[in-house]
Amino acid sequence: MTAGLAPELARVRVRRFEALRRRPVALVVAGLVILAASIGAAVVLGNVSLPLGDTLAVLGHRAFGWPATVTWPSSTETIVLELRLPRALAAAAVGTGLAVAGVTFQGLLRNPLADPYVLGTASGAALGAALAVLIPVQIAVLGLGLINLLAFAGALIAVTLVHQLSGGGRGASMTSVLLTGYAVGSLLAAGLSMAMYLAGANLRQIFFYLLGSFSTASWDQLILGIPIVLIGTVLLTLRARSLNAMLLGDDVARNLGVNVGRERTILLALASLVTAACVSLAGLIGFVGLVVPHVVRLVVGPNARLVLPLSAVYGAAFLVLADLAARMPGELPVGVITAIVGAPFFLVLLRRFRAGYEL
Amino acid sequence: MSGLGLQLRSVCLAYGDREVLRDVSASIQPGERIALVGPNGAGKSSLLRCLTRHASNRRGSIALDGLPLEELSRERLARWVAVVPGEAALPFSMRVEEVVALGRIPHEHPLLGPSDADRTAVQVAMERVGVAGLRGRDCRQLSLGERQLVLLAMAIAQNGRLLILDEPTVHLDLRHQVGVMELLVDLNVRDGVTILAVLHDLGLAAHFFERMLLLDAGQLVADGPPAEVLTPDRIREVYGVDPRFVPTIPAR
Amino acid sequence: MRPSISVQTPSSIRLKGSIHARLTAGVAALLVFLAGCGATGGSSPSPTPAPVSTPATTAPATSTATATVAPTVTPVVMATPALTATPEPAAAFPMTVTDDEGTAVEIAQQPERIVSLAPSNTEIVFALGAGERLVAGTDADDYPAEAAALPDAVLQTKVLKEQIAALRPDLILAYGNGFTPPADVTQLRALGYPVLVVYASSLVTAEKDITLIGTALGAPTEAAAILEEVHAQFDAIEAVVPATAPRPRTFYEVGYGPGIYTPSADSAYAEMITLAGGDPITTDASFTISLEALVEADPEVILLGDAAYGVCPDQVAGRDGWQTMTAVKDDAIRPAFDTVVTRPGPRLPLGLASLVRGIHPEVTLPAGIPPDPVLCAAP
Repeated sequence: MTAGLAPELARVRVRRFEALRRRPVALVVAGLVILAASIGAAVVLGNVSLPLGDTLAVLGHRAFGWPATVTWPSSTETIVLELRLPRALAAAAVGTGLAVAGVTFQGLLRNPLADPYVLGTASGAALGAALAVLIPVQIAVLGLGLINLLAFAGALIAVTLVHQLSGGGRGASMTSVLLTGYAVGSLLAAGLSMAMYLAGANLRQIFFYLLGSFSTASWDQLILGIPIVLIGTVLLTLRARSLNAMLLGDDVARNLGVNVGRERTILLALASLVTAACVSLAGLIGFVGLVVPHVVRLVVGPNARLVLPLSAVYGAAFLVLADLAARMPGELPVGVITAIVGAPFFLVLLRRFRAGYEL
Repeated sequence: MSGLGLQLRSVCLAYGDREVLRDVSASIQPGERIALVGPNGAGKSSLLRCLTRHASNRRGSIALDGLPLEELSRERLARWVAVVPGEAALPFSMRVEEVVALGRIPHEHPLLGPSDADRTAVQVAMERVGVAGLRGRDCRQLSLGERQLVLLAMAIAQNGRLLILDEPTVHLDLRHQVGVMELLVDLNVRDGVTILAVLHDLGLAAHFFERMLLLDAGQLVADGPPAEVLTPDRIREVYGVDPRFVPTIPAR
Repeated sequence: MRPSISVQTPSSIRLKGSIHARLTAGVAALLVFLAGCGATGGSSPSPTPAPVSTPATTAPATSTATATVAPTVTPVVMATPALTATPEPAAAFPMTVTDDEGTAVEIAQQPERIVSLAPSNTEIVFALGAGERLVAGTDADDYPAEAAALPDAVLQTKVLKEQIAALRPDLILAYGNGFTPPADVTQLRALGYPVLVVYASSLVTAEKDITLIGTALGAPTEAAAILEEVHAQFDAIEAVVPATAPRPRTFYEVGYGPGIYTPSADSAYAEMITLAGGDPITTDASFTISLEALVEADPEVILLGDAAYGVCPDQVAGRDGWQTMTAVKDDAIRPAFDTVVTRPGPRLPLGLASLVRGIHPEVTLPAGIPPDPVLCAAP
């Protein structure tokens, strides 16, 4: 970066951020407002245009019990209540889950490049989904298809495997956990490639899954998905102290009174559970778990007590809007939108604040 | 607040076949100020790891104020014993005040976070170490010496009854070395904190500390006032160099 | 680990995944091509629903292949009476039909608002004379011409459920084997729409599906009429290839690069090639064949099903390692009209004709069969 004006500008901007930094509650409230507005937009807009009045009337009448005479066609109700609303809520839940899991994995592994999929979750879930496609049986439990169930199981099995193989609970270094995650992930990815080869005509199903999408979100899926994500987020936020203590490494964390082995296992388990729930809801969606936490840290610093709730709220809003952008032109993969929007935004922020922030 | 006493009895530690501590026994009274010295590889850091319960396969007994180390919870230990790490890598950009605030973790409310008292303690610690002026700076842009001071401030914010330091002066210039030593003396004398510092600079150790433990090859070879520990013969034997002494006025 | 997942580029997916996509010809490139040359659209001068207007020659009722293509009603025994029932003029709604995935689908009354999620289904509905009951089709619909004008419920294989819901359909015709994502089928059914999943794994099931859709639409008589005409056309076309003619070893290129894709032994492709008087070079369910195996098999005729995607005979002749093949030496590399070869609908006879042209260029096809569109400049 050229000397002169740029650092000066950066300092001005950093000072402007300073005001935000001192008002975390205002940031949370603003985030919630943005999230509500995003969900509202996601319900009102779509690739079929509905009269705004009808949409609001349907919502008010069916969701909040406002008295109204039914003047709208039944299709409006289907579109608003069965297609758009569950979809927006699924995007919000997954956005929250991925952002919170991202914060946790980055803090736990002390690696800014970690994302929710870093410890084999992605490969495990993908392999599970691929196997589900290969199994010619139709099973549904609690509204979740075999593909959701096996993806969920695959993600959890992969992380457990990584944790056990690396001796993660017994004071192994996080680097070894990371490398084990990489090795196990590669192995599972080979299994995935094999499954994709065998899948033949069913390949597309696996591929859709890998691209990530909310197009089949339904209330049935949310009944399981939302509680896991929300409870996981709350429990993780309650353990923010441990994540903070681990910022300077395991030894410092121990000296600060943290039972590192136990906390690490709990945090890993919670973050993996949340990730697995997200993956089973929507497949693999990149960038949310990486970018949202960093952007939040850029504004409020690394204190997990602030980073976790803020990432939860802004991650949700971001993914709801990304999904809206993805379906307006007719079902683009949402991961494309998160990357197209997220990457440049992130780069701009990094450049502007290089004086105060580096990865 | 009073200092913490420390009792070591027959402490042994081995990494695989390699014995790094052999039968170390010592008793430290509350409020003592002790320098732990010895050549590289003598076992100084290993002994510190035992004291902070980082070494899981230690044998022998360690007690704090008569309480066996194993019976203390980590939380309680953290409120009693503060440790200044030699170095800490930062994965994320962190401000000086944020790092120092980490020292309050054992005291702050687990769910609600730091209180006003915690914030005051952070402020006081930064002022005592002289890093209050750096509070808003990114730690990763500080010099090694400045970072060392920040870590010291963090440990002071922790407000322990025993302060353990691992080579707190390696990256510091002469003025700051003396400044840190004077701060340690102040903490010890004014606040009654027991101080145990690993030091390489025998001159600083001899000048500012009243008692010295000399480790060599995992064994405690001398324990006493610096003048008794640092005899020419012993230095020749342990460090393999010929010392030349310049007489100084002992501190206090 | 994620890179290894994302290495599956869309293009390689298209290649492998498009095998069944091609079966229903749901690929935009093809659409663009057809729009460009327009050779097929107006080929039917008569307004009859059957696509090949003039069967012309009265074909002998018995030919060698009629055993394979059973002319009578579906040979696959289904449990439901609705399917096995011989055409009854008055269709009885509500009815329950069993689709190709074995799901019993209840249809309350005669469907008047039909959504088709595959081009083959669209063609069948139009052939049944029920085109005006379709409220939406796919973006790949290219036949008949009016099908292209329908609102799209499928865009690039993505099912647009909002559009579908807005149209309040009373029957949705999906396509199986993953072409319509199973999750979408599940969701549409959960929303209360009757969804019939059609999947033609062979010529026999392709026929059965015409009957199935005809039954579901309350047009069993029309379905029977289509089948009769299709059989007549098949017989007529097969008849032009003398039983004594040599049966050249035929490699039908489904896709190329990376990897070589050819039909599996039990696919409808192989059946069609056999009917067209060729000896298909086939592989297993992976649809891939190694160059070694292909050289060993030594094709005498190479048919380019991927001609519509820009693969031309001269390119094929220039590929490393292909020069030893008899087909390359003999200049017997010809484009094939993949859409009709692989789209399981009433235009299958056109597909057979295209294959006969490629395998036995020396014979003369029955009059009235339109020429293939120009797929690639001849070498």
